[in-house]
Amino acid sequence: MKRRLFAALLPVVLALGLAGCSPADESALVIYAGRSESLIQPLIDRYIEETGVEVEVRYAGSAELAAQLLEEGVNSPADVFLAQDAGALGAVSKAGMLQLISDDLLALVEPQYRAADGSWLGVSARVRVLNYNPERVTDLPESVLDLAKPQYKGRVGIAPSNASFQAFVTALRLIEGDVVALQWLKAMKNNGVIFEKNSAILEAVEAGQVDMGLINHYYWYARAKEIGKENMTSKLAQFVTSDVGNLRNVAGVGVVSSDPKAKEFVKYLLSAQAQQYFVDETFEYPLIKNIAPYEGLTPLSDIPAPDFDLNDLDALEETLELIREAGLL
Amino acid sequence: MLGVFAAFLAILPVTYLVLRLAQGLDAALLELLRPRTLELLINTVLLVMSVSVTALAIGLFQAWFIVRTQLPWPGLFALLATVPLAIPSYVLALGYVSVFPWFSGFWASWLVLSLATSPYVFLSVAAALMRSDVASEEVARSLGLNSWSIFWKVTWPQLRTSTTASSLLVSLYVLAEFGGIAILRYDTFTRAIYNAYRSSFDRTAAAALAVVLVLITVLILLIERRFRTDYLSLRTSNAKRLRKTIKVMPLVVASLSIIGLLAVILPLGSLINWTVVGGRIFDFSLLVEALANSVLVSLAASVMIAMFGMAMAIWLVLHRQRLATLCEGIIWSNHALPALVIGLSLVFFGANSVGALYQSIWLLLIAYLILFLPNAMAAMVTPLSQVPMAMTEVSRSLGKNYGKTLRKVVLPIAQPGLVAAIALAMLTVVKELPATLLLRPTGTETLATRLWQATEELAYSQAAPYALTLVIIAGLPALALNASVRATYRGVSSQ
Repeated sequence: MKRRLFAALLPVVLALGLAGCSPADESALVIYAGRSESLIQPLIDRYIEETGVEVEVRYAGSAELAAQLLEEGVNSPADVFLAQDAGALGAVSKAGMLQLISDDLLALVEPQYRAADGSWLGVSARVRVLNYNPERVTDLPESVLDLAKPQYKGRVGIAPSNASFQAFVTALRLIEGDVVALQWLKAMKNNGVIFEKNSAILEAVEAGQVDMGLINHYYWYARAKEIGKENMTSKLAQFVTSDVGNLRNVAGVGVVSSDPKAKEFVKYLLSAQAQQYFVDETFEYPLIKNIAPYEGLTPLSDIPAPDFDLNDLDALEETLELIREAGLL
Repeated sequence: MLGVFAAFLAILPVTYLVLRLAQGLDAALLELLRPRTLELLINTVLLVMSVSVTALAIGLFQAWFIVRTQLPWPGLFALLATVPLAIPSYVLALGYVSVFPWFSGFWASWLVLSLATSPYVFLSVAAALMRSDVASEEVARSLGLNSWSIFWKVTWPQLRTSTTASSLLVSLYVLAEFGGIAILRYDTFTRAIYNAYRSSFDRTAAAALAVVLVLITVLILLIERRFRTDYLSLRTSNAKRLRKTIKVMPLVVASLSIIGLLAVILPLGSLINWTVVGGRIFDFSLLVEALANSVLVSLAASVMIAMFGMAMAIWLVLHRQRLATLCEGIIWSNHALPALVIGLSLVFFGANSVGALYQSIWLLLIAYLILFLPNAMAAMVTPLSQVPMAMTEVSRSLGKNYGKTLRKVVLPIAQPGLVAAIALAMLTVVKELPATLLLRPTGTETLATRLWQATEELAYSQAAPYALTLVIIAGLPALALNASVRATYRGVSSQ
């Protein structure tokens, strides 16, 4: 009877399992996406609509997906890794898991926004900014390092699990040294209020829940477009010139498998249409020529960012260790 | 044999976790010797203890006044005291933070979890109060004891068993709790394990923390065993139920109303409000898709659980073999383990050992099986054991073979109970968050994972519709079913 019951029910389970949630279809393009679904899925939808290619997207944090790719190794079902920052891409590239991108695609993007060895490519750029509530913060901190001072206790929103924050910490480590970076992180354990995402920090600063926060510039612009600039409570500021708190970074893409569809997808991300999407919908900086950034954005070259090679962000593993040592994760 | 296979699956997680730990012992030790581990330990223990005490106080308070006094609208208050069971703790947490954005940290987690777990105490204590012997209280009163002395000397000893049992349930619940605590941003082991998993290239750290959590769970189980008392109330008579009138009744009504307001009306009200406000910009096609996924996955899981549960229950009840009891014990050993730990160990197992299962629906179904088989099995044993032995014997003596007897006699009689047990398993699967988060196949989003993602961005208007759907399709039916399953239990225990 037991066996018969089993025999009777097994096909049911099978059918349900397969129909309900088709496990990774062999022919589909599998994208590991470290970016917010709300920001990138509309673009992927357009891609599907135009090409008819079947796409499966796995959303998670960029660092989490990098770690997952490393754990999976050659067994990984992923074809493309779409990361929120250059560091996660660099870390996967360092493990030799990324295919080289062809020269014709590389040539579209300026050298400082892609891997030196051609293993990954920036598709849009962003800038770290200080988001603050002008009613609560009148004296702006000069440097991001100042946020470690006692007067900022419990006032600064940060997102330690977020790749953009982690990239900033890598830059902080490499520019100021591990000792200073660890001290700063430990101070932020007291001064910081921890959120999961940049968007959550902006939400909290807008609501007056925290006085300021470290985010990427475009979250503010997206919100401003939604509710009108004049209705924004919070403002954006940069730190002093060359401060690591003003880091320029890219969201980028790397090719994991040899599936030709992967290359096609990368090509699409660098098309004028996709780049215009980043300008109009996500308010990031486009990275190909002849596309102008969103009106009102400071030109990327005028940002008082530190001189920093994005290839060096690949030391992500050590950064994560340091953030964990400080007890922020 | 399915039972043996289920038992094998059941020992898989912890075994694999320990293996993983042994491989990276240095890294694991480094992780555990950090001051951070101590901080997590203190946070976790603090929360477990404070919530246990508070939930106990709330549950006792509700149960005593609802069962023992002439409270107006006792039915309404009993309902208010039970309904939080239908609200997953992460939904409750969401309900709160969407009204009060600043609501976070220890006190927030304490309040939300106390409200979420007090129904366990309430139900258990209320049942004990109804069973308990009122006559001895009357004797005590006639001997001149005041109300307080009667409570402590006569009533309390009769409630001890049920309070200890429900406190154990509450502590294990809090230890395993993940979603609510993460939304309220309070660092306990579960949240730290999840973060270590997400943001560390060497995932041994997550395994190390998970093992500590397992050890705490085992410790709590051992402590409970030490203090467990088997007080059997001597039921002298089916005495009339004594319902006291008391002077401070308005105060009691007010307190009970406030608890109900906090536990049910405020969070659900907030979610309804956000759904209505945000409805314009909400993508309902995503909700429909997530709903369909949730239903399909949980249906598949419950069919699987039913299969294994039935096999185990039949094996246990009708055959009473020693091997069956052993397998039952092994399967049960997992039921106190946090879902996050099970999920994590299966990720390790899947990524390294069985590539074909990795990121497939099967690994997720296995996780659900490990997590929910114990309860389903227990719920199925009851209706099966109610089938009179004599009837199966008659059937056999009339020449029906074993299989036919099972099909024609045993299963039809036990059917309603079995169906209820399976349905309950299915509804529990729908609400599961942490294992689903770790193991769901690429591109498969359920109600719980969608809610989770929206919450990470503090996008309440996007999260609220998922939360409400969860409560309506899983929470409330589960509550109703639970009541009927409990009723069959009670029927058996009084036989």
